[in-house]
Amino acid sequence: MAATILKQGKVLIASIQAALSDRELIELRDAFADRVGRFRSHGVIVDVTALDVLDSFATRTLRDIAYTAKLRGATAVVVGIQPEVAFAMVQLGLSLDGIATALDLEEGMALLAGIEEDDPRAR
Amino acid sequence: MTPVQDEVQVAVESESDIVTARQRVRAMAAALGFSSTDQTLIALAVSEIARNIVSYATRGVVTLSEVTEGGRTGILVVAHDDGPGIADVGLAMRDGYSTARSLGMGLPGAKRVTDEFEIDSAPGRGTTIRMTKWRP
Amino acid sequence: MSDEQQQNAAIALAREMGLSDAAIERRQKIVGLEAADLARIAAIRDIVLPRTEPYADVFFAHLAALEEARPLLTNSSLLNKARKLKAEHLAALVSGQYGTPYVLQRIQLGLLYAKARLDTRIFLGAFHHLLHDIGADIMKYSTGDASERFEQFMSLKKVAFFDIGIIVDVLVFERERVIRQQQEAIRELSTPVLQIRDRLLLLPIIGVIDTHRARLITESLLVAIRDNRAKAVVMDVTGVAAIDSKVANHLMQTVSAARLMGATVIVTGISSAVAQSLVALGIEMTTMRTVGDLQGGLEEAEQMLGLRVVADKSALRYEAP
Repeated sequence: MAATILKQGKVLIASIQAALSDRELIELRDAFADRVGRFRSHGVIVDVTALDVLDSFATRTLRDIAYTAKLRGATAVVVGIQPEVAFAMVQLGLSLDGIATALDLEEGMALLAGIEEDDPRAR
Repeated sequence: MTPVQDEVQVAVESESDIVTARQRVRAMAAALGFSSTDQTLIALAVSEIARNIVSYATRGVVTLSEVTEGGRTGILVVAHDDGPGIADVGLAMRDGYSTARSLGMGLPGAKRVTDEFEIDSAPGRGTTIRMTKWRP
Repeated sequence: MSDEQQQNAAIALAREMGLSDAAIERRQKIVGLEAADLARIAAIRDIVLPRTEPYADVFFAHLAALEEARPLLTNSSLLNKARKLKAEHLAALVSGQYGTPYVLQRIQLGLLYAKARLDTRIFLGAFHHLLHDIGADIMKYSTGDASERFEQFMSLKKVAFFDIGIIVDVLVFERERVIRQQQEAIRELSTPVLQIRDRLLLLPIIGVIDTHRARLITESLLVAIRDNRAKAVVMDVTGVAAIDSKVANHLMQTVSAARLMGATVIVTGISSAVAQSLVALGIEMTTMRTVGDLQGGLEEAEQMLGLRVVADKSALRYEAP
């Protein structure tokens, strides 16, 4: 599969390596939903660095992943959107409003850690 | 406007064809010298249109060709399907409209990122979309 | 440039100019080149072929007398290449084959002329001179009556005009390329993104923002965000001439795109008058963080990045936690 989910402590990470078909995107979403619940993860990072295009379906799936994560008490962060992809998304009117974004995996982890710090539940 | 090269045809039936159509148009755009950003925009527009075919019409054909006019070069995308057709094209072209699970950003978005955009659709007549992007 | 590189450059330019097989056929049709012409050209082939070197000399001798052709004539390597190509071209001129390989050869020669900054007037003058000499030889040495020989020359002239069309287009194309490059350089200078401290970028925008410039600014900013790993951007629009709804939309798009890359944009320099007019136009600016002046914007950005201001007896120092 072009995307596997790794667990790093309380964070689940999926790096998408190549263009995923619609079906694979849905599988990814369901896989996240399952694992967030099982491992009681606090955060979910989806790394889209390798993707050269994020169309409406992919955008919607990312939103689904974020929503599912939130329902289970986790925060989702999308990282690695490249300059051209960001530009194209905005031109097309696609947005990830309401979902946290960060430059890359490192920043994504830092963001989640920062949120943890502020969250009394994490203590 | 004269098409000057052999066309590339992509049959669109399943969602993996959406990816194929996207990759083929990006390759053609790259060969024609479009900037990386423009390649992404064209690929996105084609992706949305192909997605519409799969979602609403089950099957269709996307044809890509190079065009020249008055010294400038561009890429022409013609997407055709014999699906149910769009009853109200004006409504469909309005941002945010959607009857199915997609975001409904397809048509208005594709129009926004291309230079010329024509849509011909009616119930029972299928849908034909022609869009052109010129290389600056 | 090696021969292979020259070939490749010609192929690339042919593509840019849209000189496909169909386009070449079209050009031949435009000059009226037909089978009868090819037959006549074949008839005079043996007059031209032995004389290609002297003809090429005529061409360059004519140029030597012109001040404007100096850049070509003083560059010996360019000149030698041009001479060689010219002699080859003259042989090809009577070959009867005027398809893609022929056109590519013309383009190669055209590129050499462009490199030597030889402009169209000069080229046309020299070419005419050359044609005149060929014509004279056809009249002198060919068989058939005067009107037949005249027709033979006219057939050759059709190919000559086909040639001229290509060479002139190449020269114009190359000149426009230089202009485009200069324009590009000017535009780059006008969209500077500055890194003023770790993770913080400053983007001062001055002048008019049209769609094209807005795109350039956004693209530059996004690349800078990635390269500098910026988390905050202060975009100052104090110097922007007119902020109407279109410009406001461009700004909002820039902010959205930056956010997708994990960077927050603070827009400074929107006067209250402008802000009010935008509200009156129904523009929702609430999605943008705006601060009155640049200084305020920088301070807010620094706060956002977690930089603390430490009071010191002598000066204010910024200290990272």
